[in-house]
Amino acid sequence: MKRKLALTLALTLAVGTQVMAAPVSLNVVTSYGGDDGNRANFEAAVAAYEAETGNTINDGSATSNEEWKAKVLTDFETGSEPDVLFFFTNADAEPFVTADKVVSIEEIRAEYPDYAANMKDSMLAVASDGKNYAVPSAGFWENMFVNKSVLDACGIAVPGPDYTWDQFLADCETIKENGYTPIACSLFEVPHYWFEFVVMNNGTIDNQLEVPTVDEEGKLVMDAVAEKWIAGLEDIKALYEAGYFPENTLTATDAETVELFGEGEAAFLIDGSWKVGYFVENHADTLEDYVVSYVPAKGERSASEAIGGISMGYFVTRKAWDDAEKRDAAVSFVSCLTSDEVLSTFVTTEVTALVNGASPAGLNALQQSAADANAAITGVVGAVQDTITGECKGDLFGNIQNVVTGSMTAEEAVESAIKLN
Amino acid sequence: MYSKKITPQKVIVYTILGFWALTTIYPFVWVILNSFRQKGLIVSDSFSLPLGDAFTLDNYMTATQRSDFKNAYLNSFLISGTVTIAVVLLAGLAAYALVRYTFRGKGLLYSLIMAGMMFPVFSTIIPVFRLEAMLGIAGSGNRWLSLVAVILPQIAGNLCFAVIILMGFIQSVPIELEESAYLDGCNVYQIYFHIIMPAARPSFATVAIFAFLWSYNDLFTQSFFLRYPQERAITGLLNEISSQAGVNYGLMAAAVVLVVIPVLVVYVLLQKNIIKGLTAGAIKG
Amino acid sequence: MTSMIYKRKSPLFVFLIPTFLMLAIFLYYPFVQNIINTIMNIGGLGRAADGMNTPWYVNYATLLKDPNMRTAMKNTCILILCTIVFQVGIALILALLVDTIRVGAQFFRTVYFFPIVISATALGLMFNLIFLYKGGMVNQLLLSMGALDSEIKSNGKMIVSWLDWKDQAHFLFTMFMPVMWQYVGFYFVIIVTGLNNINQDLFESASLDGADGWQKTRYITLPMLRNVLCTCLVLAITGALKVFDLPWVMFGAGMPQNQGWLTGTYMYDQTFNKMNVDYGSTIAVLIVVLGVVLSNVANRIFRPSEDY
Repeated sequence: MKRKLALTLALTLAVGTQVMAAPVSLNVVTSYGGDDGNRANFEAAVAAYEAETGNTINDGSATSNEEWKAKVLTDFETGSEPDVLFFFTNADAEPFVTADKVVSIEEIRAEYPDYAANMKDSMLAVASDGKNYAVPSAGFWENMFVNKSVLDACGIAVPGPDYTWDQFLADCETIKENGYTPIACSLFEVPHYWFEFVVMNNGTIDNQLEVPTVDEEGKLVMDAVAEKWIAGLEDIKALYEAGYFPENTLTATDAETVELFGEGEAAFLIDGSWKVGYFVENHADTLEDYVVSYVPAKGERSASEAIGGISMGYFVTRKAWDDAEKRDAAVSFVSCLTSDEVLSTFVTTEVTALVNGASPAGLNALQQSAADANAAITGVVGAVQDTITGECKGDLFGNIQNVVTGSMTAEEAVESAIKLN
Repeated sequence: MYSKKITPQKVIVYTILGFWALTTIYPFVWVILNSFRQKGLIVSDSFSLPLGDAFTLDNYMTATQRSDFKNAYLNSFLISGTVTIAVVLLAGLAAYALVRYTFRGKGLLYSLIMAGMMFPVFSTIIPVFRLEAMLGIAGSGNRWLSLVAVILPQIAGNLCFAVIILMGFIQSVPIELEESAYLDGCNVYQIYFHIIMPAARPSFATVAIFAFLWSYNDLFTQSFFLRYPQERAITGLLNEISSQAGVNYGLMAAAVVLVVIPVLVVYVLLQKNIIKGLTAGAIKG
Repeated sequence: MTSMIYKRKSPLFVFLIPTFLMLAIFLYYPFVQNIINTIMNIGGLGRAADGMNTPWYVNYATLLKDPNMRTAMKNTCILILCTIVFQVGIALILALLVDTIRVGAQFFRTVYFFPIVISATALGLMFNLIFLYKGGMVNQLLLSMGALDSEIKSNGKMIVSWLDWKDQAHFLFTMFMPVMWQYVGFYFVIIVTGLNNINQDLFESASLDGADGWQKTRYITLPMLRNVLCTCLVLAITGALKVFDLPWVMFGAGMPQNQGWLTGTYMYDQTFNKMNVDYGSTIAVLIVVLGVVLSNVANRIFRPSEDY
């Protein structure tokens, strides 16, 4: 999945001084290509690094999607991997981690004790062998955006951190009666933001990452975990049946429904930190209308609990590490790109692993609103969808449309997906 | 054969042709107009003329200011030009043999060609990449090797289609021409190059156009093999630029125009060869 | 019936080996890999297999039971029929008409080619705007003609019941129309080429015999085009089985509600989105088998008897 990160700050760049030997050329692959919100920041940081060290960076960055992931993995299998890679740190990285194609932070620190010293060790991603490999960059959060102009027109106040599900349903009804769309969401394309939160609403932040299981015959084990997933899907179905999603939510694209929200036709949108940059870019005139609020809560969850974390980081490959000429350059490149100064250009309101935190400057209205919301956030947990296999995830989210239209029960959908996990 | 009089029949013919022409020109005009439109106005108002405030050249400035722009055009032409020439040469020979010779296993070869046309590129790309990486062609970081890495599978990918089309056309070449040439002492190679190729020249031009077009627009294969800036081809470069701006459709339209122009030039150049008359003389021999 | 010239078979090797060598390395070998993948258990794209499937034919069994696959087959069959009737049909009519005129013939030949040149992404975007739910070109047109219901809420906000062109009642039209339209130009160019390969002497002698335009078309042009039309038929069948980009840009994964699958889009979705690589490979095998069988059938029926 694309992790577009929010952006746009004046550049405050200062690179640590390293004295380098003969200049080398490094092959670097990251997801900061294409339409990534941090592309400009990344390119500026690379240019500064090149100027500082005299090394050249051969930048093979691209947009992150499934094709890109496949390419990166194929590269490792065929021995054509880059020297430094910025990649997902979850199960996606397992093939090259278990094949010992990347170097652990521990091993690098044996020679470069200061490597990643500015990061909180507790926030480094842990691979299946218990070691840390990637140095984290900027993270993400997921939360609810509201369009104030729609709420105003319907006489509804901006929800606070104590927002309840019942209040939310009442608000949706009012919004619908006033001729607006309550929830901007394409259940066809991106039901996953809602899925995370309805699951949390039927469980707790502490058990968010638990995944249902199937028995040997492929039948779903009906424990508490399965029940909260099923109840979550039922909640989405109830919203659909009440007509709170756009009329064409099953045939609309994500871009279409986000535009509904952007143009002041829809009130609520659950999305990620990367959407801030989208609104800054595309709806600068009405930026004051958008506010980052809280996802309504049910049961034991509090509305001030959200999804967030760090899903990507920089890897130094074994290939570069074993190359006497490149070892130094690869380490210094990662150190430079993850220094406090550089990361502060990437991070505005996102989760960060920096010990000292990021110090972004000059927030706009929406970023400020996000920062305010984050200040009231009482708990953050990773997305459960990042812990299941791609096959399982694809099946589950593809079937949500069938659950809401009743052509499949919630239980069948969960069972079908978990069988693939 | 052609009369200058305006007959009702002619009016109908021109009306039908004109109507279809409108449907094909309009989208093209739409893309060009929107390439000059100010960002953000396309969704709200994409079907009017971009005048006054709505007019901008920014989209083209943004798209072309990358330094590797010329390089990308060069890469594209190297790739697609090579692919086109190789496809026309190889497919012509194979199609000729499959049409004129009878031999055991001909049916099988024909079915293999047919099957080859069906292989989705999505299912062959990863094995091809592994193979080429093993041979040291793909993923080397060397610009020229990377271009070769794209060219080889693209030739193979276009061959089957080209053979099928050329077979259809070569079948229509009257065999008497070849027989008289044979009596004059030509061998099969001379017959192929001096009789078949000129006689079926429009068909070769047609195949060349499509081979060029598909190679040039094949973003999927290109983006799989061409990673680093100096290797990038124009389609990939502009796709990347236009995706940078998210919903900036104006930039995307400009990118489309910049990509399309070379193909149109190639088409117009090759199309001269499809025109009637040039070949009539050759066939008469 | 082979001419004397082609009795000696040795040049065959020179003619065939380069092509089949290329195909073997870059097409058949990878596809054999793909066939092997169908019986393996693969966790994701670009990953090595974790052993064989149990039972090994599980993907083929799934293929038979999968309701989405049935939908994809049904839609693709409709698409094949539409392609033959509309794409090849319209292209043939246009080509014959262009052949009768002199003024502007060059112009029409050029502009009919336009749609194939523009990338599917751009065309998809354009058709998406044309068929957009809220305020798309067609819907605005319908609204201005009073064909859509609208009501004014008490707060003065107008609610229009827009027509959803991608819902279950309309998606076939919305999906197929752009595909039909885009590739007419492709068959047009092929047929025009075929027309130009016809020996002009035939027409001249027919004229001398007093044949009128329609008779010449009926008795000279169409029979002479038979090979080319047969080629078009094969291309139409294989093209429809593989069609991917425009429907994918406009409809994505099986919109609406898994009714909109085509074999091409379903194969891509299974491989790249659902990460079900071995099943995606199985669909690819099915596409190839169907393509070969159907085009052989078409050839048997339409190709002149002395060939295939």
